[in-house]
Amino acid sequence: MNNVSGKRKKMKLSAMAKREEKWALIFVAAPVIGFLLFMAYPIIFAFFTSLTTWNGAKGLAGMLDRFCGFDNYIKLFGDAKFWKTLLTTTIYLIGIPIGMILGLLLAMGMNRKIPGVRVLRTMYYVPVISSLVAVSILWAWVYNYDYGLLNVIIKSLTGLHGPNWLGDEVLIKVSMIIFMVWKGLGTSIILYLAGLQNIPRSYYEAAMVDGANGFQKFKNITLPLLSPVTFYIMITTLIGGFQVFVEVQVMTTNGGIGYSAATMVYYLYQKAFESYQLGYASAIAIILALIIFVITAINFWGQDKWVKTID
Amino acid sequence: MALTGNWSEVFNTQPLGINGPSGAQIEVKEEATENIKVDADYSNADLKVFIFAQDHEKAVYQSLIDRFTESTGAKVTFEVTTSDEYNQKMLANKAAGDMPDIFYVGPEAVASYVDDGFVQPLDNLVDTSVVNDLWGSVGNAYRYDGKVAGTGEGSLYCLPKDFSTFAFAYNKDIFDAAGVAYPDPANPYTWEEFVEVCKALTKDTDGDGEIDQWGTANAFQWAFDAFLYTNGGHFLNDDYTKVVIDGQQEFIDAFQFFADLTCKYKVTPTVEQDTALGGYQRWLDGQIGFYACGTWDVGAFMDKNTFPYNWGLCGWPTGKTGVSMTRNGSVGFAISSDTKYPEAAAALITLFSTDLEGQRVLSGETTGASLQIPNIMSYAKGDFKAKIADGTIPYGDNVDVIFNYIEGTDKYQGIFVETNYTYNADWWSTFLGGGYEYVLTGEKTAAEYCAEIQPAMQEALDAANELKAAAQQ
Repeated sequence: MNNVSGKRKKMKLSAMAKREEKWALIFVAAPVIGFLLFMAYPIIFAFFTSLTTWNGAKGLAGMLDRFCGFDNYIKLFGDAKFWKTLLTTTIYLIGIPIGMILGLLLAMGMNRKIPGVRVLRTMYYVPVISSLVAVSILWAWVYNYDYGLLNVIIKSLTGLHGPNWLGDEVLIKVSMIIFMVWKGLGTSIILYLAGLQNIPRSYYEAAMVDGANGFQKFKNITLPLLSPVTFYIMITTLIGGFQVFVEVQVMTTNGGIGYSAATMVYYLYQKAFESYQLGYASAIAIILALIIFVITAINFWGQDKWVKTID
Repeated sequence: MALTGNWSEVFNTQPLGINGPSGAQIEVKEEATENIKVDADYSNADLKVFIFAQDHEKAVYQSLIDRFTESTGAKVTFEVTTSDEYNQKMLANKAAGDMPDIFYVGPEAVASYVDDGFVQPLDNLVDTSVVNDLWGSVGNAYRYDGKVAGTGEGSLYCLPKDFSTFAFAYNKDIFDAAGVAYPDPANPYTWEEFVEVCKALTKDTDGDGEIDQWGTANAFQWAFDAFLYTNGGHFLNDDYTKVVIDGQQEFIDAFQFFADLTCKYKVTPTVEQDTALGGYQRWLDGQIGFYACGTWDVGAFMDKNTFPYNWGLCGWPTGKTGVSMTRNGSVGFAISSDTKYPEAAAALITLFSTDLEGQRVLSGETTGASLQIPNIMSYAKGDFKAKIADGTIPYGDNVDVIFNYIEGTDKYQGIFVETNYTYNADWWSTFLGGGYEYVLTGEKTAAEYCAEIQPAMQEALDAANELKAAAQQ
């Protein structure tokens, strides 16, 4: 109990400290309220919705009327379309390591004093700041079977008609991955570039004295010291990767041939806004949130093993 | 992917272009609406109207609202979105319990809006006799007796914004160049005749060894109905509880014929060519002989900047039944059950739907570009047709084809497709999402695909019927 009285004593602060504490609380409150209002509440709401067959009607009462327990989750596990979209979403994640490797290589290239490097950096960043809908439409044209840039190039090089990029169950996935890598490259380049510029030159100088070659320097200095950046990019792109939606909505009709390009969020959207099955859609959202949570947790748990920092 | 349009969610699966921006430049002149008056004082009313519309439609409705405000003193907030986003926004309104006073409800959604208590019956609010002067079946589409909507029984829940149909059009210039006689609007082609004409129109016009002009080009999503129903086929049984396509000869033959147009007779662009450039764009470029023409497309097709060819209307080719069929469509104005001003709202939707002056504007008499067929039958058959005949309203040849589909004759029939009668269109999206394209490429037969996809469609339909049962509790 001494502790409690000790705490009480602590409360007796000077006027200035009190004022400071009040302000501190206000500053802390802003993100906390934001979190409660825009994250915690919707998540809890979505979870309750997922236990109902609600279609949006009759407000909360309408929702409670349609309580169905875990029926939606049980149905979900037997839903072939759900598994298909989960698989497709996972396949799209192949783009993440590809994007990271390319990003690192390009960042290393751009980390040199070569003429025009600023222009180059800006160019690679343009896709990142462009509207996703706009560039999706643009790429839908790039992939166009008859008129697309890609097939025009293939034809001029080989004389043969290129493949139907968005009209084939496998190629449509390849096309989406290429597009996503292109769209995300700018971000990883910028982050890697910042990471590269943070590595003290003295490390390389010491390695040179020891007679290390380029690859050894890369493997033993650059890569480990970039690992926090790698970790950050991996976490954020994984989370983003599970939430792919706009690309599919814009570039395909009805999720692509045989639903081959549809992602989980696309399926969720269709269930919610085309079938009015808000409960079922919420169940998908909760599963998605769980997947993302688990993967992020594994990542954080595993980071001690490979993420190095300069101390 | 449709940008905007007149019909609701069934059409949301359409490729870019169909139902897309009509391109018609419509200017609403001040004098066009100056005769419009509502004799009532609604100065205490504050209405919110929320619909989807294209820019030129929005301008027409805004001008009607301005007149309404001037003559009644009512305050009206008018908000517009795209048809793509409409359902999404309405769902948010429903969930939040924040419904606008006036909004669109399509025939396919009447039952669910009524069951969920969002709309109120209009029987005591509007002079329902005005509905008698509207096209018969469209009034029926918005009646609901608590069992099945659209049978003409029960209370009236919407006043129609429009009644549209999906006729067939042909490019006269292509017919002339090929030396083929124009189709006879009084006698639609049989499927066999249609294939022969299409073959004559399919050509390599620039001699580079590749076909660049085709008989027809129709997206499966919205054109298949015309082939299915004319052959006596259907997706569902009579009470919309069972999917019955597996082994149904009428259905399979229609589907196979639709696919054969592409893979056997080769009178349409291939599936690849179609994903590259949709039929709508090719039709506008003069590469297509026959193409679908919604009543909302007329303004664009008559605009020489959009479509610099001569064209006329004809019927879709006929299968087993010998009757040319297509889908009719509509969307209606409903009044929220929560509105504080039902009388004012009723007066405003009456103005939108059945006011003669308003219809003159929308049907193009005062603007020179037709957005829709007039709702008022007597006006449509009288002045409207006369104004087409004397050139005041530019229109493709044989406007009677459109009237025939809307009214129904022994040769022509427009219908509401089966998605109108089910709680949601999941079973239909399941059909579309299962890879029907492989039938069009010839990798599967229609019979194989139907057998393969039916169970999943049935599952989706069962789920929809469960939802319906829950909503009616």
